[in-house]
Amino acid sequence: MSSAAREAATRDPGPPRQLYLPDFCRARAVLAIVVICELTALVLALARNEVVLGFWPDLGRTSMFLLWIGLFGAGMLCALRSYLNRQSLNKGSAIVLALTAALVMLISSIAWWFFNRVAWLGGGEVVLQDHWTFLVRNVGITLVVTALALRYFYVTHEWRHNVELQAKARVHALQARIRPHFLFNSMNTIAALTRSNPARAEEAVQDLADLFRANLSEKRNQIPLSDEIEVARTYQRMEQLRLGERLSVEWKIDSLPRDALVPGLTLQPLLENAIYHGVEPRPDGGVVRVVGEFNKGMITIVVRNPLPAPNLTMREGNRLALANIRERLDLMYGERATVKAGRFDDEYIVTLRFPFQAADGASRN
Amino acid sequence: MTLTVLVVDDEAPARDRLRSMLLEAEGFELAGEAENGRRALELCDTLQPDIVLLDVRMPGIDGLEVARHLATLTEPPAVIFITAFDEYALQAFDSEAIAYLLKPIRAEKLQAALAKAGRLTRPQLQQVANATRESARRSHIGVRGRDGLKLIPVDEVRCFVADQKYTTVRHQGGEDLIDDSLKTLEEELGTGFVRIHRNALVNTRYLERIARDASGQHFVYLRGLAEPLEVSRRMAGDLKDRFRI
Repeated sequence: MSSAAREAATRDPGPPRQLYLPDFCRARAVLAIVVICELTALVLALARNEVVLGFWPDLGRTSMFLLWIGLFGAGMLCALRSYLNRQSLNKGSAIVLALTAALVMLISSIAWWFFNRVAWLGGGEVVLQDHWTFLVRNVGITLVVTALALRYFYVTHEWRHNVELQAKARVHALQARIRPHFLFNSMNTIAALTRSNPARAEEAVQDLADLFRANLSEKRNQIPLSDEIEVARTYQRMEQLRLGERLSVEWKIDSLPRDALVPGLTLQPLLENAIYHGVEPRPDGGVVRVVGEFNKGMITIVVRNPLPAPNLTMREGNRLALANIRERLDLMYGERATVKAGRFDDEYIVTLRFPFQAADGASRN
Repeated sequence: MTLTVLVVDDEAPARDRLRSMLLEAEGFELAGEAENGRRALELCDTLQPDIVLLDVRMPGIDGLEVARHLATLTEPPAVIFITAFDEYALQAFDSEAIAYLLKPIRAEKLQAALAKAGRLTRPQLQQVANATRESARRSHIGVRGRDGLKLIPVDEVRCFVADQKYTTVRHQGGEDLIDDSLKTLEEELGTGFVRIHRNALVNTRYLERIARDASGQHFVYLRGLAEPLEVSRRMAGDLKDRFRI
C-alpha cells in the first residue's frame, strides 16, 4: 500500500455526526408532524375568522389540507433519510426546506384545481384567490412553520446528544484511570530507589501522588492548560526513571497560552499512549514529540511517536483513550474541537485542535 | 552449594533492586544481568545460570519467548517469571504451577521462589502462550548450533520444509535444522504462513508466482529462493484464489 492510501485507511475520523432530524419512518416522528400540522391549522383558522363557512368547517378543511402536506412530507423525509443523513447541517436543512416548499406548491396546485373545478366541497360559495397568490401565501407560511419545526428538532437533538455525551464521558473517564501496569512498575521503581537514591525515591513518591490526585479529581472538567502540561511532565518524570535513556520527550509548546481551558487529562493520556505503544515496545526506545501552536484563536497540539513495528496496529487502550478525549473536548467546545489520529509513514500522530478560551472567559487571537 | 542467578529486566531500577536483594539471599549469587530477551539468551549460553529471573514484558523478544527458547535446551535453567500486572499471564502461571513474582518483589517471596524454582516444560509454556494470546506467536525461531543459540527472525523465514525426521528452516541467512513439527509451526505462526504441501509451510510475504509444468504439477516460487517448491493438487486452487497469482 502507498503511504497515502495507508494514511487514509488508518486515520480515525471519529463517529459520523448525523443530521439532527428524527427518523420519519417511525410513528413517533410522524405524530410530531401531525401535531405541528394541527397547531398550524388552529392558528390559521383562529386568525382567519372565516364568516361564510364558519370556524369548525374552516378548521377541518385547513387541517385536511395541511395533513396531506405533513404526511406526504413525512413520507418524503423517510424515503430520503439516508441521503439527508450524509449532508452537512446547513445543506441538509436547506434541502429539507426546498423539498417542503416544492411539495406545498404541488399539493396547493392540486387543491386549487380541485376546489375551483370540482368545487363540491365549497359549494361554490368560497371565493378563492387567484392561483399564484394562493401558492405564494402557502409557500410563505410553510417556510416559516418548517423552519420553526427544524429549529425545534435541532435543539431537541443537540440536548439529547449532550446528555448522551456526558453519560459516555463519565463511563470512559472511569475506564481511563491509571493503568495498573504503570502503578505497579512505578512502585517497583520506587522500591529500588529507596535503597540506591532515597532523594529520587522521595520525588518519585510525590510525583506519583500528584498523578493520582489529577486522576481522582472530581473537578477535572475544565483546568488551565498549564496544569495539564504539569501533569503530563510529572508522568514523563515517572516513566523516565523506569525507562532511562530509552525514553526522550521533546517539548515545543512555548507559543501555547497557558491559561487556555482544557478538559483535565487531555494531554497526559496522549503522552502515556505514545510511550506505552511507541517507545516501550522498542528495544532501542524512541523520541516522543509534543508540538503546540496557537494561531487565529485556535490551539493545536500534536503528539507523535514512532511505531513499534511497521505492521503492528494500535491496541484497544489507545482507541478508548482517544474516544474519551474526543468526547470531552466535544462536550466543552462542540464542533469547533477536533481530534485526529493516524499513522503517517513510520509515525503515529495525534492532533488536537480546539478554540482558545481563557479561564476568565475571554478569548484572544 | 551456591546457585547462580541471571536477572533479566528491561528496566534498570528493577535490575538494581533484584541485584541488591540477591546479595542478601543465602545460597544464591548473581551470574549476570540482561536488559533484553536477546541478551538473556546469549548470557544463558555463556554463563549457564541455574535460575533465570525473567521479566514477562520486554521489548523485542519478551519473557515468554525467552522461556520457550530456553525450554528447547537439553539442560534448561529454572525460570521464575516476574510481572507487574498481567491478568492473563497470572491465571496461566497459576494453572500451570509456574513460579512467578509480582512487582514490587518481596524479599521473602523471592527467597521462597528461588528455593523451589523448577524447570519449565514446553507444554506448560505453550499453555501460557495460548492463554496470554498476545505472545502466542514467537518473533524468532531458535536454532541450536555448535556456537550456541541462533535466533532467526520469523519475518526473514522463507519456508519450513519437513522430511522424515527433521524440519528445515530456509531463511535470509541460509538454512538450519529445527525440532518443531510443521503442524505446530503452522498453528503458532498462523496467518502469515500457508501450507502448500504436506511437507512445506511458506511465508506468504515472499510469494512470487505459481507455475505449472507439462504434467500438471504446480510449483511455487518464493523471492530469495532459487528452487521452486512443489504444491499439492489440493492446495493449488486455494493458493491461486487467495493470492490471485
